[in-house]
Amino acid sequence: METKLTNLVDKALSRRNFLVGSGTVAAAAVLVGCGDSTSTTTPVTPPATTLTDADYLNFALNLEYLEAEFYLRAATGNGLSSTDAGSGAGTVTGGAQVQFATSAYANYANMIAQDELNHVRLLRAALGSSAVARPNIDLTAGFNAVASAAGIGSTFNAFADENSFLVGAFAFEDVGVTAYTGAAALLTSVANLSAAAGIQAVEAYHAGIIRTIIAGAASVSGASQTYLTAANQISVLRGTLGGGNETTLSINSIVAASSANAIAFARTTDEVLHIVYGAAPAAGVKSGAFFPNGLNGNISVTAS
Amino acid sequence: MANLETQILDEVIVKSRRKMLSLGSAALAGLAVAGVTKANAQTTALTDADILNFALNLEYLEAQFYNLAVSGVTIDHLPTPIPISVNGGTGGTVALKPNFAKVPFTDTAIAAYAAETAIEEGKHVTFLQGALSTAAVSMPNIDLYTSFNTLAAAAGIGPAFDPFASDATFLIGAYIFEDVGVTAYHGAAGSISSKSTLTAAVGIHAVEAYHAGLVRLSINRLDAGSGTLLGYTQKISATRSALANPGGKPLSQDDFGIMNTTVALQGTSATYPVTTLVDVDISESSAATSYSQGFARTPQQVLQIVTGGGAGNKGVFYPAGMNGTIK
Repeated sequence: METKLTNLVDKALSRRNFLVGSGTVAAAAVLVGCGDSTSTTTPVTPPATTLTDADYLNFALNLEYLEAEFYLRAATGNGLSSTDAGSGAGTVTGGAQVQFATSAYANYANMIAQDELNHVRLLRAALGSSAVARPNIDLTAGFNAVASAAGIGSTFNAFADENSFLVGAFAFEDVGVTAYTGAAALLTSVANLSAAAGIQAVEAYHAGIIRTIIAGAASVSGASQTYLTAANQISVLRGTLGGGNETTLSINSIVAASSANAIAFARTTDEVLHIVYGAAPAAGVKSGAFFPNGLNGNISVTAS
Repeated sequence: MANLETQILDEVIVKSRRKMLSLGSAALAGLAVAGVTKANAQTTALTDADILNFALNLEYLEAQFYNLAVSGVTIDHLPTPIPISVNGGTGGTVALKPNFAKVPFTDTAIAAYAAETAIEEGKHVTFLQGALSTAAVSMPNIDLYTSFNTLAAAAGIGPAFDPFASDATFLIGAYIFEDVGVTAYHGAAGSISSKSTLTAAVGIHAVEAYHAGLVRLSINRLDAGSGTLLGYTQKISATRSALANPGGKPLSQDDFGIMNTTVALQGTSATYPVTTLVDVDISESSAATSYSQGFARTPQQVLQIVTGGGAGNKGVFYPAGMNGTIK
């Protein structure tokens, strides 16, 4: 009852918040002004207005499209339906059903695929007519770019086998956690904050699961060490592109959090964009890697 | 003591008024949405310090549990002690079974997770004490002995339960705490007024969820298809749900143990057995109301769980209640 009620209240408040729009702009301006990301160079394509909750939720929706396509394709071979991808959705390149050798891993893939699909639906429902459609997504070039930049190799097929799948999942989950942690304080509506925190928790559950599997397997199998090494190479790359915010994964250090206070890292939207675009920190980056035509919505070009 | 309480109350009132004046009606509406007004004894708006002290009480509990499991000593007796008495307060006691000893871990991975989590929960205590500074509360009395027996009996697991007996029982003990931590931080987030405090709370929230995912995965591994450990998690989740919702079960149960379920993933007609490792309802049939979000609990709901629904929010893990304004 309470969950249902909360969802209904969340939806109602979200819509109201978007309708009110201008009423929240001033508050958003104050918050955005505090961030690192907006304090420097002139963006190539400046946002039309100060960013709203809808802009941040659409930013998150782009990331959920990416995760949903990755997991759905790995689990079933099929991606989002046209209904879930939105009107005028972009294309998805790459991705195939993973031939899992370990049934438990296949089950976890199914579970996470369902969760990410639900997150797409949650954000689309919360955004209503403001929801952006799925942008073009490239799961082939994206992983190749990551592998190349991380020093793993010139190509990397995350759908080749279950261990490669785990490394692919690793690449995404912690980024999601840091993105939601960073966005939380930028949201003006309590209902939107609650929704974002609810998704963030689930992304962290996923990240905990994926990281535990990778580190656990490597601790008992020399062959699996390769995949732990690859995951940490990706972690180093994410740190380079995304403002640090990484810890080395090992059996003794599963959680990605600050060593000073054991609090999870927060990333700015710019830092997240640099990671998913596979681009070195700079202003004006608008596409690359997993998003060949950039994200849809008002947060798609880096400001710094 | 009365003076200290009076002083704290005065501070609360002043801060609350100031907050209301500065934030205006929107903030009050926000508090109502977050359900915080349901909490006991909350006639004024909660301050950030109230919320962080509530979190600190929970972190004392987690830090003691994990550090005792790993090192066999309370946090104030670690090589680098973490204080349990702060700001002139008196640190409470920790009740343990007779002849208590640390967990005899046999699974090296689980021993490693326990050690990591012990360190991280200790850092959360230290962080919150530092963030609260002169407002930080001392550790209340904590029970890690009869509490587990009481909960195990209530959950139908058995008359006694020792979370320090083995790898498996340790994980079940951890299971009791981690999801509660996640829902508590989630529920409190909307009431925090300082943006930096909010980011920190949301960051701790994520770490609790990392722990929860780790614990659930490890329980599923040790269960190895027997169903015994999974059954414990389902019973604990059902008990948490009942304690948090004393007026009756919600339409959709708000707490899920590890279980095999079936989902029909979109785009295929096939169904898949799935072991849920996340505390959300993922059944696609109820997708209209289930969006794979973590649950949020009000402070009062959290209190009902950790005190076993005890009168005056005293009992089970907190036999004398919590310290602070939210208790």
